[in-house]
Amino acid sequence: MIKRRPPEFAAWQKQTVEELKKQPERKELFSTSSAIPIERVYLPEEMDDKYVEKLGFPGQYPYTRGVRTTMYRGRFWTMRQYAGFGSAQETNKRFRYLLEQGQTGLSVAFDLPTQIGYDSDDPMALGEVGKVGVAIDSLADMEMLFEQISLDQVSTSMTINAPAAVLLAMYIAVAEKQGVPKEKIRGTIQNDILKEYIARGTYIFPPKPSMRLITDIFAYCTEHTPQFNTISISGYHIREAGATAVQELAFTLSNAMAYVDAALEARLPVDTFAPRLAFFFNGHNQFFEEIAKFRAARRMWAKIMREKYGAVNPKSMQLRFHTQVAGSTLTAQQPDNNIVRVALQALAAVLGGTQSLHTNAKDEALALPTEDSARIALRTQQIIAYETGAADTIDPLAGSFYLESLTDELEAKAQQYISLIERKGGAVAAVEQQYMQREIQRAAYEAQKRLEKEEEIVVGVNRFQLEEEAEPDLLQVDDRFVEQQLERLALIRKQRDNQLVQQSLTELKRAAVGSDNVMPHIIEAVKHYATIGEICNVLREVFGEY
Amino acid sequence: MDKIRVLMAKPGLDGHDRGVLVISQALRDAGMEVIYTGLRQSPKQIVTAAIQEDVDAVGLSSLSGAHNVLFPEVLKLLREAGAEDILVFGGGVIPAEDIKLLEKQGIKKIFTPGTSTKTVATYIERAVLEARGEVKITAAAKPQGIDHIGIAVNSIDSAAVFYRNHFQLEVETVVELPSQQVKVAFLPLGNVTIELLEPLTGDGVIAKFLEKNGEGLHHIAFAVDDVQQRLDQLKREGVQLIDEVPKKGARGNNIAFLHPKQASRVLVELCESHDTEGG
Repeated sequence: MIKRRPPEFAAWQKQTVEELKKQPERKELFSTSSAIPIERVYLPEEMDDKYVEKLGFPGQYPYTRGVRTTMYRGRFWTMRQYAGFGSAQETNKRFRYLLEQGQTGLSVAFDLPTQIGYDSDDPMALGEVGKVGVAIDSLADMEMLFEQISLDQVSTSMTINAPAAVLLAMYIAVAEKQGVPKEKIRGTIQNDILKEYIARGTYIFPPKPSMRLITDIFAYCTEHTPQFNTISISGYHIREAGATAVQELAFTLSNAMAYVDAALEARLPVDTFAPRLAFFFNGHNQFFEEIAKFRAARRMWAKIMREKYGAVNPKSMQLRFHTQVAGSTLTAQQPDNNIVRVALQALAAVLGGTQSLHTNAKDEALALPTEDSARIALRTQQIIAYETGAADTIDPLAGSFYLESLTDELEAKAQQYISLIERKGGAVAAVEQQYMQREIQRAAYEAQKRLEKEEEIVVGVNRFQLEEEAEPDLLQVDDRFVEQQLERLALIRKQRDNQLVQQSLTELKRAAVGSDNVMPHIIEAVKHYATIGEICNVLREVFGEY
Repeated sequence: MDKIRVLMAKPGLDGHDRGVLVISQALRDAGMEVIYTGLRQSPKQIVTAAIQEDVDAVGLSSLSGAHNVLFPEVLKLLREAGAEDILVFGGGVIPAEDIKLLEKQGIKKIFTPGTSTKTVATYIERAVLEARGEVKITAAAKPQGIDHIGIAVNSIDSAAVFYRNHFQLEVETVVELPSQQVKVAFLPLGNVTIELLEPLTGDGVIAKFLEKNGEGLHHIAFAVDDVQQRLDQLKREGVQLIDEVPKKGARGNNIAFLHPKQASRVLVELCESHDTEGG
């Protein structure tokens, strides 16, 4: 029997051979417990046009089956646990602990004052310093955060949006001090302001100047930090706020298109910046729908980039994403059950081909995770990677009637939303009209009502409750550090060269008023230990507040 | 009766507003007037808005851990403005020990994740109407008295020795309740009976209680006329019940248990008098 071999198949085979030369697979032979060999990828008997168009091959357009040629057979996803609390010193200790435990990337949580561009001593920061993440006021804190962690050895993801330029500038400055050239640093800044207006709330400036900051970062990084992802376009928080899987998919891609539009308007050629766009999705409860969502997202993005924007660089079409499992599905009741929820959500992310993964700790509905619960969370993904065999063949659920149908449906429904948003004038206009915000609120309220009518069951919450619950051990952030942080900040202000600080802030203001890229000026300011509050206040003066 | 007015607020910098939006909508659906402040409100802004809007209650939401600083600040500013009659409740990611602390300082109630919107709405309505003096706790009469006191013991035989030797109290009858995996000894004293509760096997309610707490006071039972009527009343009042309908007790009478949460961690039983004639 002669099977049809489409040219794309040959292309994938060729690419695989090349990839294997660069990076051999984890094992020479993959097999099951019964010694059944496991193929790299399983394919239909007839690879007809429809198959090639909708699914194709790993690492090949439209990337439904994954963005890399060998996927997890070459290398597992990056295990990247979001961490940060209290002082830079404390967080540095937790980072080094996680690296010792086999974590392969860092992910920094900043406290809310840092995320909204306030110094720790600002009245607005009252009660919030060091609470949900680490407090960073100046380069001195950033130096402490990465002490004994060599920035050419790790990739670092920073959950920072409105002041992303400032934190990236500090990261670059720390790297330089360590003797690591900025071309070599790897990581991601979240830098996704649209979803802040929609769902997460840490905006500072109005949408238009915010978009300008983002395109300044794109332009700077394309030239100077080619290995750094300039944005992580996030559906995660949209989903957490109550959106459905379709809404998560549609709003995220609409936002992504708005960033591409803004960059094109700033005269950046699409294939220069698009390869560094990264995505961030939620890993939620409904197992198959989630897997389908990830696959649909890849296929949709590939089409958008090639057909709408005329990208030719394959990297511009590859939707690479981080997944965090859904914090909102964790329950305060019977918190040990959360370990099981997390494991299933994480497995869906792996079967959906995620590039990196954060697994939540079981106690996050109650407080920040303890060291023990953070370790169990990491172990959960290590078990999926090393014990289940789920990573031994690429896109293992492809061809399932159910999954493929779900993937198509999600794509179609998300496409309807995207078209609707385009008719409203695109994502920026839709955000300004509160369109997405209202859609999400409605979905959240509907979900809550279903829960209370017991149309949806949450184990331990509206069924299978326990009469009394033991009180678990929780992490309390030690408040005493706040005083130390304030003292440190005062000392920095005293010891630095304040004239240089003023000069660099004046320069920054000039750039912000005009159209020069602000990035080099922010880097200059942070090197002189200008604080995040000082830098953001200059920008507030020029841009206004949302 | 005026509509209940509630100000919902996000103090501090926290941007998680799913909860506050869902609760706002639920309170509106329950017939209240709700004003939502939006994100990033200082305690001062919240108090000013509460007074201007002449609300009955303020709901504070924080998921960022700043509650211990910001919630008491709202209380303090309300007091300073002479508006301490405005009830303050809160919600968010708030650990149990902080809840104790906050409620002690005057936050009326903290709701944690997983609380149903109905519970929140019922609670607020009740609390506001009580504070306005518009509703007295239902005219239901006091219970007739204490019917019995239940004590969890490892062994009835050895526990009974104490009561016999020092108080001349005798075990009158012993009943086994296989459905509850428990053996009950009755020691009457006037209108009140002491019940010694011994587990029959390793996994009944009493066995679990002993495993967790050791021997000790297990429950107090009020004698009431009509358990079902009382349950209906308590439910309306937002009291958390274990049994929503009466079940049969050790002496074949109607009984029901309330959740210990609102009763200072004491398990309370309602119990129809077993020796009432006819009825």
